[in-house]
Amino acid sequence: MTFISVCRWQLFTMLVIFISFTIHADNQQIDGNLLLTGMDAGSTDNFKSGRAISLHYNYYFNNWLAADAGLLLTGKTLEESSEDIVGDYRTNIQTQALLLGVKPRYRLDSPYEFYGRLGLQYWRTELEVEEYFGPGIPEGSSSATDTGYGYYLGLGVAHYVTEKFIVLFELSHFKQLDVFEGDTAYPFDLAINAFSIGVGYRF
Amino acid sequence: MIFAHTLSSRISGIIGSAAIVLLLAGCDIDGGDNLPRVPDQGLFMLADANRHEGDDSAQVAAAVFNDGEPVNLVGGDLFEARTATERVLLKKGGPVEGSYAASLPIDGSVQDVFLDVVHLPVEAREDRWYPIDLLNTDPGPGELVGKSAIVSFPPAVTITAPLPDAVYTSISDVIDINWDPVSEGDLMRILAAVECTDGLATSSYGVVVDNEVQLDMNLDDGNEVISLDKFIYDENVGSGVLKFISDAALVLLQELLNQLSAGNIDPDFLLKTREANPIESTCEIRLFLQRQRPGQFDVAFDDGRVTGSSSAELTVIYLPPVPDN
Repeated sequence: MTFISVCRWQLFTMLVIFISFTIHADNQQIDGNLLLTGMDAGSTDNFKSGRAISLHYNYYFNNWLAADAGLLLTGKTLEESSEDIVGDYRTNIQTQALLLGVKPRYRLDSPYEFYGRLGLQYWRTELEVEEYFGPGIPEGSSSATDTGYGYYLGLGVAHYVTEKFIVLFELSHFKQLDVFEGDTAYPFDLAINAFSIGVGYRF
Repeated sequence: MIFAHTLSSRISGIIGSAAIVLLLAGCDIDGGDNLPRVPDQGLFMLADANRHEGDDSAQVAAAVFNDGEPVNLVGGDLFEARTATERVLLKKGGPVEGSYAASLPIDGSVQDVFLDVVHLPVEAREDRWYPIDLLNTDPGPGELVGKSAIVSFPPAVTITAPLPDAVYTSISDVIDINWDPVSEGDLMRILAAVECTDGLATSSYGVVVDNEVQLDMNLDDGNEVISLDKFIYDENVGSGVLKFISDAALVLLQELLNQLSAGNIDPDFLLKTREANPIESTCEIRLFLQRQRPGQFDVAFDDGRVTGSSSAELTVIYLPPVPDN
């Protein structure tokens, strides 16, 4: 593990500890979201759209800024089948991520607020490849898993159905950096763009 | 084993020619009939490496047939073409099923090209986006791995007549082609890429003029008089005189056109279904005069047609006669 990654991990741990010690029973929010995702590995990949869920916990320091801690779980996202000189192949990818960042918001006089999310993520991603070569030649699949860091961004609007219950609509961008770096000569960055709808509870 | 036509391959060639003439009688131009004339039995290798005038790369095309059927190289098996200093993998599939092509960098000193079937499970997947060295199901080398061929380039071709962009106005006109003969026993032929337009629609196709189309065409004697009806046809009458390219030459010429046009040529240029009737259209005829030298192929092959070639290009124009009012 490099010096930089050690520092990142320590910073992540300290933030979690800080958040856990400052939580009290006011100005908190939890929300759960269903995401429609688009994966992009930055090359000639051709992933189908996928599904994911995310859970967020927010602690509001003041009226406009909150800490944002979350969990992202994607379903197995398939790529369209492709064919080349080697044979037919198809990949699928699945990822989980811990999210930690900040969430600024702007509450309107009406029952709406605009908000953003910005933070770091610690991800675990599994990539699988299925290959078919034709009659008489054994087909097969192989998979590998990697972990690492990245960041996430989000912009959303929330509708206060009541002062406790909220409906959220959000556009998100999750970026995983250097996936499989160190294991391969062909690492890549994985971007996940998502539209989500969710419900939240303030307490 | 030095390449030579066996009796069986001659018979196959005659049968194949007859079949092609029958198939083309309806004047359809598509990729479906583009199987080369190969024997029905045995392992057959087809390959050509062409060095075009002034070009710093050679076009290489290759295919293998087993009992008349093209063999797809899969699972990481592929053709490798190399010189003493350069190497390229034939990854691009050609218009002929089971054919592969690539451009091989060369300079004037290169005389020989070595062709090998190799098993490179990672390099074969290099166009894929994911970590191919980490995620790789390798079925192991196929039966063709280890088989090889070698071809040598004949002397360069120099066309001396007609002048570029010479105009012809009737398909009964003749093109009097002259070149500097070398007479080292090499074989001559002409490949042509024809593009016609009538102002509204276009046609494009490839034809070959060899010894089967025109007697003694293959002699490297410095002169050939060819009727324009070997390149231009009337779709209302048929195209019995034309021989559309149907084998590795199709792959090679498409690769050459791609190289010469810096990738701006339609990848199916030579396979397009015609829309304009050539005899009533203005046509640009790109003639590629090719000097071929038979090469050697692995004894594991029962038969083959493996050649090195040099080519030069000449463009002539066909203008249709103005109809009487």
